[in-house]
Parts: sequence; structure tokens; C-alpha cells
Amino acid sequence: MPVHFVRRAFVVLASAMLVLAACTAVSPSESATESESASESAAVSVAPEPQEILVLEWGGYDDPAFFADFAAASPEVPVSFEFGLSDADILGKMEAGSQADVFHFYSGWQQFYVDQGLVQEIDTSQLTNWDKVPDSFKAQGQVNGIQYFLPWDWGFSSILYNTEEVPEVTSWDVLLDPAYAGHISMWNDGPAAVTVSAYVHGYDETAITDQQLADIEAEWIAQKPLNAFYWSSEYDDLCPGVMDQTVWIAYAWQGCYATALYEGTPVAYANPSEGRNSWIGFYGISADTDSYQLALQFLDDKLADLTMSNVVNLFYYGAANQDVMDAIEDPVLIEAFGVDDPAILESTNFTPPVTDAQRTAWTEMWARVAAE
Amino acid sequence: MLGRRGTLPFLVGPPLAWLVGLFVVPLFVIVLFSLRPESGIVPPGSAWNPSLIQYGKVLDTPAFLRLLGTSALVAFIVAGAATLLAYPVAYFLAFRAGERATLYLTLLLVPFAVSYLLRIMTWKLMLGPAGVINSLLSGAGMIGEPLDLLLYSRPAVVITLVYVWIPFAALPVLAGLQRIQRSQLEAAADLGAGPWARFWRVTVPLSVPGAVAAFFMVFIPTVGEYVTPTLIGGTGGIMYGNLIQGFFGSAGNWPLGAALAMIMLVLTVVLVATAARIVNVRRLLS
Amino acid sequence: MRRRPSPAIGVGRTRVPLRGFYVAMLVLLYLPIAILLIFSFNPSQRLAFPLQGLTLDWYAAVLGDASLLKAARNSLLVGAGAATVATALGTLVAIATLRFRFRGRSALLGLAVLPLVVPFAVMGVAIFLLLVSLDIDKSLFTVVLGHSVIALPYATLIVLSRLGGLDPALEEAAMDLGASYPTTLRRVVLPLMGTALLSAWLTAFVVSFDEVALAVFLVGGDPTFPVLLYGRLRFGGQLPILISMAVLLTSVTIILSLVALRLSRRRE
Repeated sequence: MPVHFVRRAFVVLASAMLVLAACTAVSPSESATESESASESAAVSVAPEPQEILVLEWGGYDDPAFFADFAAASPEVPVSFEFGLSDADILGKMEAGSQADVFHFYSGWQQFYVDQGLVQEIDTSQLTNWDKVPDSFKAQGQVNGIQYFLPWDWGFSSILYNTEEVPEVTSWDVLLDPAYAGHISMWNDGPAAVTVSAYVHGYDETAITDQQLADIEAEWIAQKPLNAFYWSSEYDDLCPGVMDQTVWIAYAWQGCYATALYEGTPVAYANPSEGRNSWIGFYGISADTDSYQLALQFLDDKLADLTMSNVVNLFYYGAANQDVMDAIEDPVLIEAFGVDDPAILESTNFTPPVTDAQRTAWTEMWARVAAE
Repeated sequence: MLGRRGTLPFLVGPPLAWLVGLFVVPLFVIVLFSLRPESGIVPPGSAWNPSLIQYGKVLDTPAFLRLLGTSALVAFIVAGAATLLAYPVAYFLAFRAGERATLYLTLLLVPFAVSYLLRIMTWKLMLGPAGVINSLLSGAGMIGEPLDLLLYSRPAVVITLVYVWIPFAALPVLAGLQRIQRSQLEAAADLGAGPWARFWRVTVPLSVPGAVAAFFMVFIPTVGEYVTPTLIGGTGGIMYGNLIQGFFGSAGNWPLGAALAMIMLVLTVVLVATAARIVNVRRLLS
Repeated sequence: MRRRPSPAIGVGRTRVPLRGFYVAMLVLLYLPIAILLIFSFNPSQRLAFPLQGLTLDWYAAVLGDASLLKAARNSLLVGAGAATVATALGTLVAIATLRFRFRGRSALLGLAVLPLVVPFAVMGVAIFLLLVSLDIDKSLFTVVLGHSVIALPYATLIVLSRLGGLDPALEEAAMDLGASYPTTLRRVVLPLMGTALLSAWLTAFVVSFDEVALAVFLVGGDPTFPVLLYGRLRFGGQLPILISMAVLLTSVTIILSLVALRLSRRRE
């Protein structure tokens, strides 16, 4: 073995990587500082907020299509992203002192942010797109009458099923039906399982008793072998399974329904007698941000027509901008969102806020189901 | 001029400092967390009232402990199979590849730079009912119907993990084989030993430390494995690591997750320490 | 003697198809990559046969995606950094443990290998909490710190296995000739361990390059490639562009490795 061989190999490898890194280096911060000094020399007397924004976001939403209006209106402002893996994770990061100016989470967690002083009121008078948001959505973003949160994306949870293998689904209990053993896929989430059982048996979701929880646990332990798999990620776990027809029945959001239908899979999205579940995604402005005005601008642009249409057309999620929803023409999406049915939002079950104790009990229950 | 003794602090100091700062202290933080009675989201800075509640929860749930045992067994099988199958690869690299050994070794490692998620997605294609393996087997007339167990099952997890670990396991085995000097083999040949005899009586015994290192290198992290079970384990292939991951991720219950992790850590250390003792005793006796 | 001594030691003619086994292993390892390569030219967004044509659109999209390229760059830097630190520290541990006797010798080795037992996600949370309490901002640097710790066991074990076979007499000879111990290490021991050091570095690099569970906790506003990938995979339409990026990265890694090896062999 040649003596200097390794040293040379290291040097080549390391320097090649540095060269490669230099080639791919894109530094928006450099261009930002250049334009910062340019605008400073223009001497406008505005409170000097730092002109960049950090968003605590779910993976995938960092796509520029989801802040297209903001990027068009303020191209010199760099938008960076910190990623969260789940609602619990995002709350954890905010609690730990994340530097994010703006954060994104889903129904049921509003109270925690308010209780811990992590969020500040949104001055809706400065939002030009605020009128396009339905009142019911606005209300869900309020705590103690104060508008802390901005509704942005929303959707349903219901049963997605293969119309060739399964007759019309009218109830949530099809997820528990042994007739379809090996072809069911449930979301790997304890609170969701509790919700399904609550719908099926008529329990009050906000007041599940210990006995009811024990029954629910037994029910889902019995259900476990009926699954092909539990899914964690909509697009890389569930959807491929639905599209190659391994999965005939699934707890799913409407995104996978639209995706599968577009690819030609014979699927339908149920309107069960107990009602679909629905959820809303909210943005909050961090209480510690020093870019409040910029954050407001960012959120206002998020509600704008182009950005919100991208959410609907690229991601198949609902938009809080009612103008955009009314303008949907694609029959698949009309079916998915029940746009034709004006009463859909009334008959749907919005995810209620749950306490820490409930969430803990339900997630621990689910872990026991998984371990069986 | 620095003699041997004088060099020692410089050899021990940096790794020790690094490990204490970035491993021992964080681990201690996890231990502290596992002693918290609160469940769910715990704001940093909140008061710490130590309690064994979380450990009680784990030890009171037979399902958790059974899953831990099963996961350890899976890890044992995977480590054994991977080391066994890695051995011929390492042997080839050590004794047959000659000048090209490093090239061949690098070729083995490069696929790991590709995202594991993407590789598993294509692996699913190969394992599925319409996939490559089933097509080959039914084309050869060996099976009538596609094999179900190749995907979304515990066997699928074992097969995939063995597949993934073989190149990694080959490295310590290779390093061990490279220690063997030609002179030892020549001496055996001079004494009349044929190739197989030389292999079994010289090569294998001398390579045991490398194989043992490989076995532990695979066994230890596999006990807590969760990515592969999530992707292709289905509901039957769930492992202990999935529980931990769930509590640190979507369920947001760090104290319980920490307790689960600590119990796994203790069990693994005990198993490894016991095994290390057994191996040493055997070497003493041989 | 009953048998002729076999002519070539270790390089013999036995009936075991070792080369065939290695090749089969290689085929199995590269098969997923080959499939990814095929699909990177497929216009459809699904990972399913049959192919629906050939297109270079995805590669064009990769080159136009600044955040994707930046994430790849980040991973290269973090990987190189973590690998270097892990290999250096692992070598120190190996030398200290095998060449010296001192109290706590096995404890040091145990400690160096212990990170293997802790799941990456747990390490991630733990280091994250440490950073929070020390008020240190998350960044690529903190990821390097985390990765160097989890890669350390691999590097240590590999170097240890090789060093164990090195005759200490060589070092004694060098010191008898007047060299200090550090010099002996530098000019006698390290070069002899060449392949092991390279293996250790490559292994540590590879461990860091595709690691996501820990990185997700320690990365700030500047993600590494696996973190970005993991997030973007939630998105159906992103799959092909991510596949193309992965293929590009693999090709680059292969080319770099081959170039490095070729250059080193030329100068013998």
C-alpha cells in the first residue's frame, strides 16, 4: 500500500468538495445586504426593521409557489425556513426560543401558544385580503376574542376508498371492518384514532372517559392486523399504496384523493353519515419578533389570490381565501372540497382543541396499540 | 521531545473533552428529562420535580417490554446475518482484490450517499407483488402466487436491514483480516495445511475480533431502528424505536420518550457487556 | 508431506466464487440507484412502471432550484467536517486504547462507542436542549457537532480493528532511532493505517450525509439535503426533482472518489 496514497486521496476529496461547494454557493444574504445599503442611502424614514423573515414551517411549504405574491412584491427580502416535523415539534421549537418570526400549525393547538405568551395579536386592519376569509375560519383563529391566528390552508379528513373493490362508504366504521383485512391504511396518529371511534360510537370528543378510552384501545388493537400499514406521510406512504391498489380503504386527507384520481385510480372520497372531519392550518406571529410589519406583509400576501390558488392547484389543500375557493372549476376539486354543497362546512366536524392531558392519554394509548 | 508517556494527554484529552461536552452532558439531559413527571410538551425552564413515573409507565406495560425483547432479537438476527454475509465480501477485498481493494471498497460505500428514503422507495418496488423479486420467482416457477411477506412485514424489515448493513459490516471485518500477515499463512502452508485448513485454523480465528466488532456495530443501533420499520414494516414489523420516535416526534411527549430510550440503552449496554465478557473468556481458553 | 504447499497464499485458486459474491453484492446495492436513474428521466411523477417517455426536464429543474443546490452544498460541507473530526478523534482513541495502559482505558473506549446505542432522534433532542440552555443558535456548525459524535463510534471501531494488527515493535524501532512519539505516529503508524483511515472517513461522511433524525433538530434556517428531502417528499410533485438531485449527487460522489483514487495511484 503506497505510503502517501491516503494523504493525496484526502486532499483531492476535500478540495474537490470545497470547489463543488463554492460552485453551488448561492448567497441571498449577500444580495440582500447590497440592496439594504442601497435603500438606506435613499433615506426613507421608516422604523428600521431587519429586512428578512424566518418561517417555522412544515416541509414542502418552503416551495416559492406558497409565497409567490410576497416574492413578487418584495423580491429583495430573503425568506428562510426552519422545519418542524409535527404540531408538537413546532410548539416545542417555539417554546425553546426559535428565532422564527412566523410559524404554521394546525387545529387544536391554539390555546398552548396563547397560554405561554408565544404569539401576538394580528392587526387585521392592515390586511388587505382579510375580507376574503370566511367568518367561521376567522373565529377559529381567535382565542378569548383576540385574533391571534391567521387561517390559511384547510382540508378534510375522511375515508378514501377504491370504488372497484368497495361499495359506497357511508360510515367511518368501514376502517374497522375485517372484511377488508390487509387492505386498510390508518394514519399513524392516536388522536385521529380516538376521533374516528368517537364518531362511530357517538362519544364526545372533548370528554372521553377512561372506560371509553379503554374500549377505544381494544378496538384499535383488534383493527391493527387489518392494515396493510400505518401511514405517516401522505404522499410517499399512503398515495403510492392507494395508486397501486394495495390499499382499498384509508383514513386520508383530500390531497391524496385528488392525486390518485388524476392518476386514473378509481377512488372516491366519502361523505360518511357521521360527517367528515376538518382542520385548519394557522399562522401566528411570534411574540418576540422584531419584524412585525414585515410579518404582517408576509401573511397578507400569503392570503392573496395567486398564492392561495397555488395551494389549491398544486397541493390540493383548501384555501382560506373564499374568492379562490369559489373560482374552482375542476370537478375533482369541487368534489373533494364539497364546493357545491354550501352546508358542507356546517355538517363537518372541526377538530376541537384538546388539553395536554387528553393528548397525552391518547398518544400513550396509541403507543400501546402499536406495541401489541 | 515528547516521549510516549508525554503524548498520552494529547491522545486522551481531545476525544474525552468532545465526548463529555457533546455526548455525556446531553445524555445527562435526557436522563433528567426521563425523570420528569409531566407528560407532553414541557417548556424549557420549568421546574424539575424528579419522579419515576415515566419508568413506571414503561415497566407496567408488558407490550412495551415485549416489543423491546423482539427488537433485540431482530437486531441479533440482522447483525449475525449481516456479519456472516459481509465476511466473503471482506475476504475478497482483503485477499483477492489486490491493488484494487480500495477502489472496490469505495464502490461498496458510495450507494450510501444516496438518500435512504429514495433507495427504500425503489426497494419497495422490487419487493412488491408486481416487483422484480416476485416476477423472477414466479417466472422461474418457484411460486404460484406473489409472496406477501416480502413487503410490509417483519421479515421484510429483517431482509432490508441485512441488505443495508452488509457493506458497513464488511469494514471492521476487512480491517481485522488485513491484520493477518502472510508469514502466518505461509508458516501454516509449510506445515502442510491446505487452503481450507489454513482458512479455518489461521484466518478465521485471527479475524474474530473484526467480526465481533462488526457484529456489535450492527447490533447496537438496530435495536433502536425505526426508519425501515416505518417504511416497509407494516403493522407487524413495528419496532421499539418506533415508540421512541413517536414520542419525540408527533406525540410530543419527551419525558416518556426519554424513559423508553434510557431503558433501551441500559438493556443494550448490559447485553453488549455480557457478550464482551463471553468473547473474552473464550479467547482466553482457546 | 502429504500435500504440496499451495503456491499463492491468500491469492489462491479455491472453488469459492468470492469475486462472484462481491459482484452480486454490488449489483444488489446499485440496483436501486439504477432504478432511480431510470426514473429520473421519466416524465411521470409516480414511481411505477411502465415508463412514460424520456425527459431531461427534472435535471433542468434541479439546476434552477437554488435552495436544493444550497442544501446539497450544506450536506457536503457538514459531511466533510463531521467525517474529519470523527476520524481524527477516533484515531486518537484507538491509539490511546491500544498502545497505552491507564486507568479508565476501557471506559474511554466504551464511551467512544456508546453513541451507537442512543437513537439519533434522542441525541438530536438532547443536543438541541443543550444548545438552548447555552443560548447557542442552531446552524450548520451545530449539525457538524452532532454528526461528529454519532459518527465517532464507526470511525473508532474501524481504526481500532486495523491498529490492533500493527506490530508495536515498529514504533519502538522508530523511537530507538531517535524519533519522538508524535513523529513516530505521524510518519510510521498513520501511513500504515492508510486504508483504515480512509474507510473511517468515508464511513463517517456517509453516516452524516444522509442523516436526518438528528439534523432536523440541530439545523437552523439552512437545511441539509436530507432534511430538505424529507420535508419535500410530503409533496407529490417533488419526487422526480428530488430523484434527479439524488442521482446527480451520487454521480458526483462516484466521480470524485474515482478521481481521487486514480490520482493517488498515478504518483506511486
